[in-house]
Amino acid sequence: MITPVTTNSKDLLASAKWAFATRRVARADAVQLIRPVAQAVSGDLVLARVAQIGSHQRVQLTEGRPSTLYPGDLIVAACGARYAADQFEGIARIDPKGTDLLAGGGCLGIMRTRNSKMRQPTRVVPLGLLADAEGNVINLDRYALPAKRTRTDACVIGVIGASMNAGKTTAAAAFIRGLRAGGFRVGAIKATGTGAFGDFNAYLDAGANWVGDFTCAGMVSTYLQPIERIEQALATLIATGTEAGCEVLVVELADGVLQAETAALLRRADVRGQFSGFLYAVPDALAALGGQTALRQFRIQPLALTGLITTSPLNVEEAKAATGLPVLSKEELTDPLLAAALTRSATSAEAEQLAA
Amino acid sequence: MSASTSHCNEAFSLVRRPAHGPGTASAWLALPKHPDPSAIPLVAVHGIQRGARSQAALFAEEAAKAGRVVIAPCFSSKRFPGYQRVIMPQRADLALLELLDRIGREGMCDTSRVALFGYSGGAQFAHRFALFYPHRIASLSVLSAGWYTFPDDAPYPYGLASPKRRETPWLSSMASGLDRFLELPITALVGALDCTPDSNTRSNRRVDSQQGTHRLERCTRWHKALVAAADARGIQPRSTLHILPDCGHDFTECVRQGGAARLVLRGVPDAEHLSRGAACSASSAA
Repeated sequence: MITPVTTNSKDLLASAKWAFATRRVARADAVQLIRPVAQAVSGDLVLARVAQIGSHQRVQLTEGRPSTLYPGDLIVAACGARYAADQFEGIARIDPKGTDLLAGGGCLGIMRTRNSKMRQPTRVVPLGLLADAEGNVINLDRYALPAKRTRTDACVIGVIGASMNAGKTTAAAAFIRGLRAGGFRVGAIKATGTGAFGDFNAYLDAGANWVGDFTCAGMVSTYLQPIERIEQALATLIATGTEAGCEVLVVELADGVLQAETAALLRRADVRGQFSGFLYAVPDALAALGGQTALRQFRIQPLALTGLITTSPLNVEEAKAATGLPVLSKEELTDPLLAAALTRSATSAEAEQLAA
Repeated sequence: MSASTSHCNEAFSLVRRPAHGPGTASAWLALPKHPDPSAIPLVAVHGIQRGARSQAALFAEEAAKAGRVVIAPCFSSKRFPGYQRVIMPQRADLALLELLDRIGREGMCDTSRVALFGYSGGAQFAHRFALFYPHRIASLSVLSAGWYTFPDDAPYPYGLASPKRRETPWLSSMASGLDRFLELPITALVGALDCTPDSNTRSNRRVDSQQGTHRLERCTRWHKALVAAADARGIQPRSTLHILPDCGHDFTECVRQGGAARLVLRGVPDAEHLSRGAACSASSAA
């Protein structure tokens, strides 16, 4: 039995702050609120009232700007899980009595663990699930890009890392900048992680001609999602970026290469086959060596190391000696000459593998 | 961008675009009265005497027939004394990329792919730029280069390998762009009388042994090397050699008497015949 929460749902929804992860939603579809919220699944849209400000003091709006949260604010976000070693780990479940804002991009769930440096998450009280005129709960997947799987003629470069905050996004943005300066039409993809506009905007600011992420494929987060769904999302994003005319696609995978979904993706030959090469972002030389060993299990030899390590000349020399890999700073990745050479190296290596 | 028009006739106007900061280049543009937005622009690079204006002027009439814009960058001797070598000692490549981006943003033509021409020192620049950025090039024409980068493993700028004590990731991977370069339509031109070394002709044991002692011999050897390299890689050679009768080392003479402008522009493909996505595609051997 569907129970509308209020008769003035439209007014409530109109006054709410819609989080970035909901940006593809046609708001006119949401005409009522229903309970019970405890039945929410990942991707379901939730209207919630901010109860207590915690770690996330701002929510990222669909318009691309952050909005300071105040107790009593209404937000529309999506039920989802989150994996962030530096912040929270949480699951896609809504507690009717009060639930957690796991990510500022609009991910609501229940926190299970948190980094000791983090405060408690911002708490919200769920008011209901957004539903259409027929009473169907609205899920992000309703607005996903059509699933596609086409062979791309674009050069696809993955940016992977040893961990969260290893410098992946900085490297990806620098590489995009270099490619654009070299005259390439560039697409940027965030393939895994939790929906947020930070990386999305970083790609746009670097000059990417087209940007897409897993939220475009209907997921607020890829954590604990079936690997087949994440793989299809990646294929869809690559196909869509190719249709947009991109010659090079820069694909960032969140967190470290040992994170469950990232590792599962890289383990699959069909996924690796979509990439021409990888940049590997690391904080130090040991992470470089350990990651190189881990990546060998996936039959991946990175084109180069990058990331936080490049702030330390001593670490760079250690990493070069230990791995035999070149180490590229963000300044070097921004150089169109090097960016063009990297794409050529990637496609040459790909060609050799195909010929072998 | 400020501009000054210096010359007009019924078919085209010559316009100067100043540099706008350190590391940027000024340019002369020949703008056709009836531009064809789909026509690939011609970039004409001067020799070490500079003279960008005459580059634009001497191509202007022939280019205007096809509605084609001519862009003649000026690498000043103060800012870019060694522009012929493209990336050292200065980054003349960045200056040209910035110029193309600037002109493309103005919307007067699509600069994503250009027909690149160079004379003498400009020919050195042109073929090296094309080796670094083959994805930006629709066709390449070189006239009377003093010496060349060969498609072999001699250290850059003689060949494609990294120079000793100067290991760089982009130079070491330069050879990987060779296939794409060899797939370009390349027109190598030289005057039949350009067979006497002068004070500007680089001469040492390495270059004389690899390339010959004068421009006619060097151009001929380079063309043959391109054909051989393409053959060795299973690529259909697209390099053609034109020896201009009764012409020496003189740009105006090569254009007016040797028909260089016509030969250069004849080698420019139509935009619709350019393959999209070839920028990153793996070699045909894949």
